[in-house]
Amino acid sequence: MTSSALKGLGGVVFFLLAWELFIYSAVIHFEYLPPPSKICIAWLSLVQQQKYWLEISHTLFAAVLGWLIASFIGIVLGAALAISKRFRQFSLTTIEVLRPLPGVAFAPVGLLLFGFSLNMELTVICLPTLWPILMNTMAGILNLSKKLEEVVNILHLTPTEAIRKIYFPAAATSVLVGLRISLSLAVVMAVVAEMIGNPEGLGYAIVREQQAMNPNDMFAYIFTVGCIGICINYLLSQLAIYILPGQFLRKDIAQTI
Amino acid sequence: MKKISHYFSLCVGLVPLVLLLGLWQIFSDKPSPHFPAPSYWFVAIHQIFIHGQLLDSIWNTIWTFLVGLLIAASCGFVLGILIGMNTSVKNWTSYLLEAFRSLPPPVIIPIAVLLMGYSSSMKIAVIAIATLWPILLNVIAGVSQISLSVIDASKSLQLSRKDMLIKIVFPAVLPFFILGIRVAIPLAIVITLLIEMLTGMVGLGGIMIAGQRNYNSAQVFGVLVIVGLVGLGINLFSQFIENRVLKNWPPKKSF
Repeated sequence: MTSSALKGLGGVVFFLLAWELFIYSAVIHFEYLPPPSKICIAWLSLVQQQKYWLEISHTLFAAVLGWLIASFIGIVLGAALAISKRFRQFSLTTIEVLRPLPGVAFAPVGLLLFGFSLNMELTVICLPTLWPILMNTMAGILNLSKKLEEVVNILHLTPTEAIRKIYFPAAATSVLVGLRISLSLAVVMAVVAEMIGNPEGLGYAIVREQQAMNPNDMFAYIFTVGCIGICINYLLSQLAIYILPGQFLRKDIAQTI
Repeated sequence: MKKISHYFSLCVGLVPLVLLLGLWQIFSDKPSPHFPAPSYWFVAIHQIFIHGQLLDSIWNTIWTFLVGLLIAASCGFVLGILIGMNTSVKNWTSYLLEAFRSLPPPVIIPIAVLLMGYSSSMKIAVIAIATLWPILLNVIAGVSQISLSVIDASKSLQLSRKDMLIKIVFPAVLPFFILGIRVAIPLAIVITLLIEMLTGMVGLGGIMIAGQRNYNSAQVFGVLVIVGLVGLGINLFSQFIENRVLKNWPPKKSF
């Protein structure tokens, strides 16, 4: 452990201590702001309950399922857009018009069509997570350099070999970046969908505890969501480094919804 | 000539969208609770426009969005430079800032509702807090990437602290600052809509969720189009400003 990591952790500990002290010394006073110790106790009791784990698994399930659907559509459409120039000509503007539509705006539409259900949640997850995958797949294939084609010719590769050995690995970096951005986004959108519509999972739990004026549990759930986000990000970056060693610059991805 | 063909290709790209809406109009030409035809969207929009709700909502949404973003931008800029200039502060806060950043922005809303209640200041606070992190972290990154030789040069020129800030730090940080704002804008739009949906307060999100609750599906789809247009407008405007500001940036020639 390096000294900068220690300092970073020290900063977090200091922040939590300061929060605790401020509450007890009543310098800042909000009726519903609990000190971290109480949140921690609430969290510990939540962890022992089965419903907590069910809520986590529901949110993760919805996020991953939505993400898988979006990945499938995004990769197929993105590849089609990159390969066929005609198709690109006839649909790029449409995509550019639809893309900036904020994901949450589809929540009421999903509610209208599907009611309070998993389908509504999937609608809200799929639509915004589709775009990073689609755009990155398209860009990844379009940006393949001409030299790769020459390599294929020189090595006398068959088309399947060419795709498997040259084109796929070359485009995969970009696709993986898209997939990674989308999965983090999918978790956030799952929570959002549960907050507005589908009464299940972590998002609903947060809103439920807020409406029950039960801030200890609410903060515990919020920190849970944060931890899940951090874990997923870490796992994905490790996975990306493992799959494509050396190609991944561990750059911070922009957080967008 | 080139410009005309450019516009032509833009229009050709719209064909699927127009086709989809046209088919929708033809095949579902009645008010339906699920898929109302596009012509009914306009009727619904017209209705809320007459009642004055529409302009009120658009104005409210854009206003909260702008104020929240402005607060986040100014706080992010100042704090980012303060933190970035001071290595030990940067080290101590690095994990803390990462943790705040990785907290999904929507979960700030329930906290704010509990602490501040339903008010427009709550809305603005949530937007400001949610969009602060991308701007702040980008500005810190911008300060960190100023090369040491530039700082050494400023020292050998014996620039005062104020001169160093104005002549070296601000220009170097500017592109990063703008990048942060570019990330923050869509985030701010989403958060604004989400707060309005969750609390039912005045705004585009509010009238959308009201339409959904009354099974007024035409209104939901209509407002969806308005949201898209407002988002498009904000994007174009921000791009315009960005091009203006970054027109001569980075400087092409050394002087």
